[in-house]
Amino acid sequence: MGLGFTVGVIGVLILGHAAYSTIQYRSLLKITEEEFSGPPMEVVLELLVGLLFCMWAALTVPGKFLSVHPHSDENRVVSLPENVDFMIFNHRGRAFSSEVGLKLKH
Amino acid sequence: MVTKTEESQLNKLENQVDNGGGGAWEYLCLARKLKVRRSDKVLKYGLSILNDSRKRSSQGSDEWTLYEQVAVAAMDCHALDVAKDCINALQKKFPESKRVGRLEAMLLEAKGSWEDAEAAYSSLLEENPFDQVIHKRRVAVAKAQGNISVAIEWLNKYLEIFMADHDAWRELAEIYVSLQMYKQAAFCYEELILSQPTVPLHHLAYADVLYTLGGLENLQTAKKYYSSTIDLSGGKNNRALFGICLCSSAISQLARGRNREDKDSSPDLPSLASAALEKEYKLQASDKLSVLTSTLKCLRVSS
Repeated sequence: MGLGFTVGVIGVLILGHAAYSTIQYRSLLKITEEEFSGPPMEVVLELLVGLLFCMWAALTVPGKFLSVHPHSDENRVVSLPENVDFMIFNHRGRAFSSEVGLKLKH
Repeated sequence: MVTKTEESQLNKLENQVDNGGGGAWEYLCLARKLKVRRSDKVLKYGLSILNDSRKRSSQGSDEWTLYEQVAVAAMDCHALDVAKDCINALQKKFPESKRVGRLEAMLLEAKGSWEDAEAAYSSLLEENPFDQVIHKRRVAVAKAQGNISVAIEWLNKYLEIFMADHDAWRELAEIYVSLQMYKQAAFCYEELILSQPTVPLHHLAYADVLYTLGGLENLQTAKKYYSSTIDLSGGKNNRALFGICLCSSAISQLARGRNREDKDSSPDLPSLASAALEKEYKLQASDKLSVLTSTLKCLRVSS
């Protein structure tokens, strides 16, 4: 989790650096009075690297993803809970004494 | 709702505790959360925690919930003196508590003194006329005495006030099925499906009731609900697969005399279901596979 966080921070810093260099490039072009067609190649590569870092961090930092399928093993309802509110006690289990000597000792 | 992972976790913990490894407290917490009725194990391991004063005090305030859980388990296993001791301990800690009063009335029920239990519940209801659990316990007392008609009448009155209680609807449906009043049971299951449409077991129970009622339309609706059960459970519900084969066979038997204008919308559905069943049986019970194939062949031949 610490590694993912650090990678995420690095990715954001890379994106910030790419933005800064694009602004610098634009001001340079204003001095030389040329058209601003797009950021230079290096900045585009920097943007892609920053994107990859940030995406990786976003997927690893939050932790385990829960399943959405209704029929996956985590979500598949196998049996309903016993109706505890309507439980009755005069069933045949009365005849089986489970263990003798069960006592609350205090 | 008990999911598959939770069920396997519960069984694993149960095996672990049975064979002497630790983990009794986690087992009890899981059993309480999933609301399973394993009273003999809960009683045995709960008492082992409660009798050990060190383990008991380490649980802090959860100790009293454990007392309640062990008291109910003791009543279920008919160890009434254990239940009495637990309730006394709870009463010392929480005098004048409605929850403890309810446990005492349940103890009277377990002893078999129905009139005393009934009187205790009525007095508790006078103080708080909208206590849902007390209403339900009264219905349980009527059911335990065998007055099913009184139980039905009270349960209906309860459901007129608290219409959203799906446990009560389920209980009413089961009572109707036990009395073979299938139309009323179908109504209750419809209410359950409306409130919880993603639980496949309600669809399955509804389809079973419709299949039991019989008649061509009911069989066709039953086939649709078996299919929705298979859809919701990812094909892992064997009972629904069997249901489809039986429904198709019954429908084709009924419709044999008439002209089949509306031929099956899905003619290969029963064969798909049979194939899935055979695959499942090969995996889990391969010695019964021959019995299964001969049964399915009879269903298909007679159709």
